[in-house]
Amino acid sequence: MIKTRRPLEAGGFFCIFLEKWFHGRTIVKYRFWGGLMDRRTFIRSAGAATALAPMLLRQALAANEASLLAVAEGGDYPAITRKAINAVGGMKRFVKAGDVVVVKPNMGWDRSVEQAANTHPQVVRAVVEECLSAGAKKVKVFDYTCNDARRCYVNSGIENALKGMKRVECKQIEPERFKKVQLNGRFLKEWELYDEVLSANVFINVPVAKHHGLSKLTLGLKNIMGIMGGNRGFIHRNLDTALADVNSYVRSHLTVIDATRILTAHGPQGGSLGDVKRLDKVIASADIVAADAFATTLFGLKPADIPSTLSAYRRGLGEMNLDKIRVIRV
Amino acid sequence: MPRPSRISQLFFLAVFMVLFVMTEYRGHDQINAAVNSFFRSNPLVLAGYLLSVKSWNWLLLPALLMTVATLLLGRFFCGWICPLGTILDLFRFKKKPDKAFKLPKGSFRFWLLAALLSASLFSINLVGLFDPLAILLRGLTFFFYPLLGLGFGEGWVGLYHLIGEKRDSLAPFYAVLRDHLLPFRSTIYPLAVFSALVLSGIIFLERSEARAWCRHLCPLGTLLGWLGRLSPFRRVPAGLCNDCGQCRELCPAAFERELPADGDCFRCMSCENGCPGTRVSFRLDFQLKNAGPLIPQRRALLGGMATGLLLAVPVRFRSRQGESLLRPPGVRDENEFLEKCVRCGECMKVCLKNALYPATWQSGIEGFYTPVVIPRLGYCEYNCTLCGQVCPTAAIPDLTVENKRLEVLGKAVFDKNHCLPFAKRIDCIVCEEHCPIPDKAIRSREVKVLGPDGVWLLVKEPYVVEEICNGCGICENVCPLETKAAIQVFAVRNRTPIVKTDLQKVLQDKLPYSGYDVR
Repeated sequence: MIKTRRPLEAGGFFCIFLEKWFHGRTIVKYRFWGGLMDRRTFIRSAGAATALAPMLLRQALAANEASLLAVAEGGDYPAITRKAINAVGGMKRFVKAGDVVVVKPNMGWDRSVEQAANTHPQVVRAVVEECLSAGAKKVKVFDYTCNDARRCYVNSGIENALKGMKRVECKQIEPERFKKVQLNGRFLKEWELYDEVLSANVFINVPVAKHHGLSKLTLGLKNIMGIMGGNRGFIHRNLDTALADVNSYVRSHLTVIDATRILTAHGPQGGSLGDVKRLDKVIASADIVAADAFATTLFGLKPADIPSTLSAYRRGLGEMNLDKIRVIRV
Repeated sequence: MPRPSRISQLFFLAVFMVLFVMTEYRGHDQINAAVNSFFRSNPLVLAGYLLSVKSWNWLLLPALLMTVATLLLGRFFCGWICPLGTILDLFRFKKKPDKAFKLPKGSFRFWLLAALLSASLFSINLVGLFDPLAILLRGLTFFFYPLLGLGFGEGWVGLYHLIGEKRDSLAPFYAVLRDHLLPFRSTIYPLAVFSALVLSGIIFLERSEARAWCRHLCPLGTLLGWLGRLSPFRRVPAGLCNDCGQCRELCPAAFERELPADGDCFRCMSCENGCPGTRVSFRLDFQLKNAGPLIPQRRALLGGMATGLLLAVPVRFRSRQGESLLRPPGVRDENEFLEKCVRCGECMKVCLKNALYPATWQSGIEGFYTPVVIPRLGYCEYNCTLCGQVCPTAAIPDLTVENKRLEVLGKAVFDKNHCLPFAKRIDCIVCEEHCPIPDKAIRSREVKVLGPDGVWLLVKEPYVVEEICNGCGICENVCPLETKAAIQVFAVRNRTPIVKTDLQKVLQDKLPYSGYDVR
């Protein structure tokens, strides 16, 4: 497949109408000026047009069905994960036959499943299974861990949950695969991103909802740090802008937030079960900002309290106003 | 058909190598069998430990059994088990030994052994520096194994740059290698070249004569020989036959000499196997004809003991810098640690995040090769207990995870001149994020400060709650500043473990005179 990564500035304006026209079918590959463009490139070129027509873009996104969000509740985590995904259109809406899919859970810490520092392995497995049954050629699951990668992969339970699955890869990060990318963001001009994400057709963001010392909460937008290389601590000095920069370059086609149990304090690692609250919920949305905004309410906070959500919303990465998000409870 | 001792040698070399490779985190919190078995059954380690620590340690029971076995069977370890001896046998140069090479012969080895053991008596336990197994392990750990990892690792990376994604088709093969053979990280250690040179030097000595190290220097061999002198299991006849003399060619322990005394015979039985007739045999013989004097080389022994005694004082010199060394978790007393540590390097090999490095001169000769935590290079992983598990003498105690988490390596201290929220009024808090203590030993408070341009800002300033900091060093490791970290772990004298206490109360008590944030 031909991949156009070049921003099509001139076409940006036209893109917006095209996006409106295709309303809802977000994964369609647009044939455009002789080249094929995937949705990510498409959105990025649309992003380039913001300088020309910010209002139009806002409207386009607001009208988009992307702000549809599903919350599933129940004790059977694989089942509620499926329910949530089906409620936002089913995995077939995002994954087409033959696609290479990256599923990016949070498994950054050497903590056990019940300590709620990593995404629940059953949620990850359910997402992966959905991708496979939608016809994915390959599903890659990884995270650039904070603690020792071997321990994180083992103790998060995710490696084991995916063991033996065909067409599924759960490999540790190989540093040589980080590629310097021109983000041209407001804080990050360039950064190293993981090439398996860059070359994938679909990127599914599967964070766990938890407290964080600096960003208050870590959800989908912050989970993107797991595909960043280099001295990641550097971006803490302007975290919300940096996250918006990376998230506007790598768009999450689907965000599935694991709120089966959440970490309410001493995040992002926790370690004490006293800080863990069981909610038995899974949130799914094609709009990462909407997913984050809704998950924020589970902690008794408002979406605007979280700087990264606010930054991303202002950048036009999605909808954070709860009254403009269509929430389906299943 | 090779002789039984050769098969045994190769077997134990293979066991050594397999245990060596197993001395690494491979997906399980517990390492069931590690290369420490060789040190735990090492009579020299036992002797050094008993003399310096002056108490019994059940971990060293196998060494006691080995001592008893040596009393009965003689110095068989050298001919049947010792992996370094086997490597020397495998590396033997085919050409005639180079006679230009002169080694200190005869009494030097007794002098060395006596000096090491008498220094141990004065709590300077340096036997590990000369122990053949430790020399082998250090050479492998610090140089050859990382080299292997580097070779494969760089090759694998190179392949990626060459063929890119197509490399994935080979990934399963590489995964097998990586998971079962290669080191996880190819760490560069201080003393790497020195360790490799010592090991290579010993191999190179083979040019001078077969098993030169074993016969003229090795303190373990000397000790075993002394213990095994009176063994009833010996060669009959004791001397060469008048009409043949073939034994001299076959014997790895003899060179230009008559056959070795009982103390030096490896019991490898090469002579029995190679005997053109059937005259030579090994059997039980209770007549002590070839045993030599009870205390051989009396002068060398006395000289060695005097040397050990004299060295015991100056070697103890430690610079003040030595006091600031961070030791592995569970080590509470520096002196006790130095008495027990074998300097074998296993803890450094097994360390999950490569936090441990051999000390060079920081704590004098006494601390040479002892493990030191360098947090900027690697931190102590909160849930890992591997170093204690593999330590052969419990110099690093084998603790449960729960207890290990409470052990104090040092305490973290901020350098406000560097730390971003203080120095530049920018948010950072990477240290707090990574602090593994469930209650967070690094916390932050939001303060209103005047920025450099005169505008009031809200900044999160971090602080350390010393009561619950265990000094694991992850904060120093991840501090995003370049070169020097703005938070550093400093050694403390009082390393009593963190008390599990009601943190809220601790902080509440502190509240009147400090700004601790109680939430």
